[in-house]
Amino acid sequence: MELQIENLKKQFGSYTAVDIDSLAIASGESFGLVGNNGAGKTTLFRCILDLIEPDQGSIFIGNSNTSASSDWKSFTGSYLDENFLVGHLLPEEYFDFVASLHGITKVDLQEKLVYFETLFNGEVLGGKKLIRDLSKGNQKKVGIAAALLFDPKVLILDEPFANLDPSTQFRLKDLLKKLKYDKGVTMLISSHDLIHVTEVCERIVLLEKGKLIKDIHTAPETLKDLENYFAGVGSSVLED
Amino acid sequence: MNTVVQLLRLEWKSALRSPVLHKNLLVNLFLVLTFLYLAANFLVLGFLLDNILMEVPIDGITNKLFPDDWVLRKLNRFLIYYFLVDFVVRYFMQKLPALAIQPLLHLPISKAKLIHFMLLKTVLSPFNMLQFLVLGPFMFEVFQNLETLPALSWVLSITFLIFALNYLAIYLKRTADVDWRIYVGLLAVLGSIGALTYFEIVDFFKISGLLFNSLIDYPVTVLVPALALLFTYWINFKYLKNNLYLSRISKRQDKEVNYVGDGFLSRFGLVGKMTELEFKFIWRNKRPRAVLLMTALFLGYGLIIFTQDETPMKIYAYIMFAIIITGMFILNYGQYLLGWDGSHFDHILTRRVSFEQYYLSKYMIFAVVGTVCMILSIPYIYFGANILLLIFCVYLFNIGVTAHVVMFFGSFNPKKIDLSQSSMMNWQGVGASQFLLILPSLGLPIVVFALINVFATTNVALASLAIIGLTGILGTKLWVKLLASWLQSKRHEIASDFRNG
Repeated sequence: MELQIENLKKQFGSYTAVDIDSLAIASGESFGLVGNNGAGKTTLFRCILDLIEPDQGSIFIGNSNTSASSDWKSFTGSYLDENFLVGHLLPEEYFDFVASLHGITKVDLQEKLVYFETLFNGEVLGGKKLIRDLSKGNQKKVGIAAALLFDPKVLILDEPFANLDPSTQFRLKDLLKKLKYDKGVTMLISSHDLIHVTEVCERIVLLEKGKLIKDIHTAPETLKDLENYFAGVGSSVLED
Repeated sequence: MNTVVQLLRLEWKSALRSPVLHKNLLVNLFLVLTFLYLAANFLVLGFLLDNILMEVPIDGITNKLFPDDWVLRKLNRFLIYYFLVDFVVRYFMQKLPALAIQPLLHLPISKAKLIHFMLLKTVLSPFNMLQFLVLGPFMFEVFQNLETLPALSWVLSITFLIFALNYLAIYLKRTADVDWRIYVGLLAVLGSIGALTYFEIVDFFKISGLLFNSLIDYPVTVLVPALALLFTYWINFKYLKNNLYLSRISKRQDKEVNYVGDGFLSRFGLVGKMTELEFKFIWRNKRPRAVLLMTALFLGYGLIIFTQDETPMKIYAYIMFAIIITGMFILNYGQYLLGWDGSHFDHILTRRVSFEQYYLSKYMIFAVVGTVCMILSIPYIYFGANILLLIFCVYLFNIGVTAHVVMFFGSFNPKKIDLSQSSMMNWQGVGASQFLLILPSLGLPIVVFALINVFATTNVALASLAIIGLTGILGTKLWVKLLASWLQSKRHEIASDFRNG
């Protein structure tokens, strides 16, 4: 297993944000997380990345307990929100820094950035604009590229398609599919866009009020299922 | 009218619900006390104004010539200076009226109404109100001693001028933003007027007297300040009316920034690289940059100290001076140690950076800037080699001990610093730890020095400062390790505080 969650619980006051008995994600699996606002998607990701201390439970990425060791940081790429970016740097300077953390040389970095050129669409590099002055969409491109820069084994992205223009959404989808098939990257992706997420992910988990209420392997009828669920908002459509 | 009431209620709510008001009780208390103190001073000054003026000897004006209004005519001789200083203070310190106008623009409220509201609101600014505390009692006396018409003319004119300057300052601030050229220009004007007066080339007292006396002698001249007020109001209105578009008021001037690659420090590995990033941070954000400029300004502090005559506590004044030039940055920057990183703390937590490296890079900033300040203070050798030696001892202590203490206190209960705000009169991020822990740590060298000086000579005490400092520098790794493990246990709490504002 690449990622293992046991008995995880996180409450904010009396409100239960995440409550998961057990969740295991296999190596190379692409895992999609869907759910309405407040379902606990971001909280779950933050717990996984040791940004929030869970009330109980443990999380392992590889053999590394995320709250006890930091080994996982060397092979886990993640982007949840702008807090992951350093606003006063140019994208190039930010990539430089991330690359140096993983011992990537300047030459290798240039090669890797070429790989993201289609995603950037000429709007990120060489622009002389600090990251904080970029549009939301371009900030997201920087964040995703930085998460992928060092060939992570595990990739965690929160709402990667939101704020991106349609062309970039398609490019990102292609990129993620390629990572899955060519490099066997384990991916955790949350999204409100059911079409994209069913296309990229082979396994979809539905979160409601912090609980896993559905765990499905993507099949042609998955999208229909999910659409029915969200149209009925938690009615009995899926309770078979 | 109804809209204005609604707008007032919005303002009231925004003031009442301002996060600063709730999170920052101590600072608010401090600000309120400061304000009350100032107001009391001004009021006392206002009541004593005529007595003070009576003491001022001015030839050409005697009791006999102007039996009723000679005090007023004396005051008139100073008014030009008064309004000049008033304007400079306003330009530096008064804040632009901030009505969160963006969310209102698409609502059915006429733009003109919004603008009038925004402009009229500034009347209540303390920069206007405090002036009436000074001049108010005097205005009252003017009514008692002069005939109604001249008195009315004078009082109204002064009132109009106060508000005209209010609108002029706002207009300049808004159109030219905060431009250092205007700062320098203002200071130059002020300086040259001072010089012209001092060398008796132009008698501004006389000019001022002539101008303001005419308000009493020819009451119709009240029209001039009235027109000035209308004009300054009108240019503000006009400007806002033409510029009240989202693209213009949301001040996102995307400055072009050039790529800066690895510098000298990067050769020392990751910590060096992070130190360089920190310098980029300081240079590219207004508030930390102001800290750096402040540090540079204080380098000249010695010129005040060393040109003073001898005082019995001289050695303490010298140590204070040495603390300030080599430790000002440590204190000013270090008090928000983690708060500076509030907007990208999650980045630090998820990257392959250990907290030890993180703290070490923070320490490097202090060491580098402290050392540069030390080197820049070498010219003080002009006042004696002893001075330089003293600076060096205190410098070692600051780098070795004060820096470590500030690093600890700066990590304690940090608040995210809003980097989009400028630094003038900005209290955001200031909390109890600043007042109770960090400011006092500036006095550490003095306390240590005084304690040792009880038992030993001055030289021994100074040498002890240096030795303690050196020990501290050698112990940096150990101290950083302790800080890192402390941060390790507090990381979730701090990160969530930053995320929530």
